[in-house]
Amino acid sequence: MEQIATVILDSTNAILVLMLVSLGLAIIFGLMNVINMAHGEFLMLGCYAVMELTKIGLPFFLALALSPLIVAAIGLIAEELVIRRTYHRLIDTILATWGLALVLRQAMVLIYGPGSYAVPPPNVGSIMLFGGPYPVYRLIVMGVSLGTIIGTFAFFFGTRWGLAARAVIANRDMAACLGINTRRLDRLTFAFGSGLAGLAGAAMAPMISIDPNAGLGWVVPAFLSILVGGLGTVSGPLVGAAGVGGLDSLTAAFSSPVWAQLVVFSAAILVIRVFPNGLVSRRRREA
Amino acid sequence: MMKLASSSILGFAALVFFCLLPAVVPSWVAADFGVYFVYAIFAVSLAFLWGHAGLLSLGHAVYFGIGAYAMSVVTLGMTPGLPDVQSTWIGLLAAVVLSGCTAALVGTFFFGGRRPLKGAFLGIVTLAMAVVIERLAINSPFLGGMNGLMSVPPFVLGLNGDGLEIIDTTVIYYLMLAFLLAVIVLMLHVETSRFGKSLAAVCENELRASTLGHDAARLKIRAFTLSGALAGLAGALFVVQFGFASPSLIGFALSADVLIWVALGGRNHIISAALGAIAVRFLENRLSGAIGAAWPLFLGAFFILSVILFPKGVFGEAIAWIDTFREGRRVRSRPKPPAT
Repeated sequence: MEQIATVILDSTNAILVLMLVSLGLAIIFGLMNVINMAHGEFLMLGCYAVMELTKIGLPFFLALALSPLIVAAIGLIAEELVIRRTYHRLIDTILATWGLALVLRQAMVLIYGPGSYAVPPPNVGSIMLFGGPYPVYRLIVMGVSLGTIIGTFAFFFGTRWGLAARAVIANRDMAACLGINTRRLDRLTFAFGSGLAGLAGAAMAPMISIDPNAGLGWVVPAFLSILVGGLGTVSGPLVGAAGVGGLDSLTAAFSSPVWAQLVVFSAAILVIRVFPNGLVSRRRREA
Repeated sequence: MMKLASSSILGFAALVFFCLLPAVVPSWVAADFGVYFVYAIFAVSLAFLWGHAGLLSLGHAVYFGIGAYAMSVVTLGMTPGLPDVQSTWIGLLAAVVLSGCTAALVGTFFFGGRRPLKGAFLGIVTLAMAVVIERLAINSPFLGGMNGLMSVPPFVLGLNGDGLEIIDTTVIYYLMLAFLLAVIVLMLHVETSRFGKSLAAVCENELRASTLGHDAARLKIRAFTLSGALAGLAGALFVVQFGFASPSLIGFALSADVLIWVALGGRNHIISAALGAIAVRFLENRLSGAIGAAWPLFLGAFFILSVILFPKGVFGEAIAWIDTFREGRRVRSRPKPPAT
C-alpha cells in the first residue's frame, strides 16, 4: 500500500514535469510552426541558472522563480538571432534548432566543463503521506507544475492575448489580416515556451545531476507526447504527456528503468502510426 | 555533345583530386580518408532519401549500425549455427541484406496503409526508433552490450576469412574510394531511372503523382529500403577499418552527425552530400586538435548560419553557382539572330 502510494506520487511528479516541458514545446510548435529540437537544452539552461543563482547566495525559491525568466530571455535572443530567419521552412527549423542545441550544449561544456554538478535541495523535509514519508520538495514541484499549467490555460482561454494566440494557431494568415501582430506574438511565444522548459529544469535541478547533456533525454519524450496527444489543441499535449510519463514511470517501477524507455517509445510510435492526428484531435484541413 | 551536369563537373574535379591525394600526403592522412569515404557513402544514402525522395530520417544511424554489427558478427565467426563462416564478402552481403530488410520493414510500417507518416512527424518517429534500437543493442549480451564487439578483422580478400588481409593504408584508401565511386554512380543512375523519376514526382506532389497512377507507398518503401541497404554497406565498410562496433554507431549521436554533414554539404545532390561528409570530418579532425572543445560550438554556429544563409548547403550552392556561370556564358556566346 505504502509502496503503491509512493509509485503513484512519483508518477504524478514525472507526468506533471513532462506536461510542463511538452506544453512549452507544443505552444511553440502550434503557434509558430517551429519544431524546437533545442527545447531540452533550454531545460538544461534552467538547471544551470538555478545552480548559479543559489551559488551567489539567493534563497532557493527566489532562484526557482528567477530562472525561468533568465531562460526566457535567452530564448528571446535565440528567436531574434536564429529562429525568425527560418520561418515557413518547417524542416529547416529542425536543422537550425538542432544546431542551436549543439551550440548551447557546447557553450555549457566550455563554461562549466563536462562534469556534473548538484544543487542542494531546499531544506523542507518530508511529511507522512499515505502511511509513509514523502519529500515535501517533490510535492512543491508538483504544485508549481500544476499551477503553471492551470495558469497557462487561464492565459489562453481567459485573456485577450490568449484569444489572439488561439486565433494564430487556428489560422495564421487570417489572424494577421485581422490586425494581430503575429511578429510580436512569435517573439513572446518562443520566450514563453523556453521559459516553461527553463522552469521545468529549475524545478528538477535538485533531483537530478546537472550536466550539459541533462536536456538530451527530454526532447524525444516531449515530442512523442505532443504527437500522441495531437497538435492543434492545447489539451492534446497534456493527454500525451500523461500517457507517456505515466507509462514510463509505471514500467520503471514495476519492471526496470532499462526497459521503461523501450516500452514507452515503442508504444508511442505505435499510437502515432495508428492515430496520425493524435488522440485528441480537431478536424483540420490538410495543409 | 552530351551536356554534363554541374554536379558531375564538381564530382569529376573531386575524383581527380582524391585520386592524386595519396601521392602528396603522408599515409596516416590517407588512412583517415578511408574512413571519411565510408562516411560519405552513409551521407549519400541519407541524401538520396531526404533530398531526392523527400523523406527525412532523423535516425539513419540505425541502418549504419546494423551493417556494422552484421559485418562484425560474421567476420568474428559469431553467426549463430555458422561459426565457420568468417568471410568478409559474406559479411558485406549480410550487412546490406540485413539493413535493407530492416529498412523495408520499417518503411512498410511507416508508409503502408491509408495515412502514411510524413514530414516532421516521420523525422521525430525515426528519431525515437533510433533511441529504441540503440537501447536494444546496449542491452544485448550477444552484441557485447555497452562495450560492443571488439577486434573485428580487417578486409580479407579470401573467400572465407583467409588469404590476403588488406591493411596497407594506401590500398584501403583506393578501395574505399572505389566503393564510394561505385555507390555514387549507382545512385546517379537510380535517380535518373524510371523509379527515380517517379520518386521525384511523389516527392514534389504526392497527390498528383498517385492520381497519375504511381504507387506512392511502394515507391517510398523501395527508396527507404535502398537507402537503408546503402547505409548498411557504409557501416560494414566502417567496421573493417575501425575494428570495433559499439552501440554509439546506432543511435542519436551519429544520426545527428550525418544529418549535419548532408545538410551542410547540400541535400539536393548526391555529390554535394558526399563532399559535405568528407569536408566536415576532415575539418573536425584537424580543428578539434587546434581549438579543442570549441569545435562543436564552431560547427553548431556554422551549421545554423548555413541553414539560414545557404539552405542548399555549401557544395549545393557551389553547384548552383557553376550552373549560373555556365548559363551566363551560353547566353553570351549565343549567335545573334540574323538581321531581317
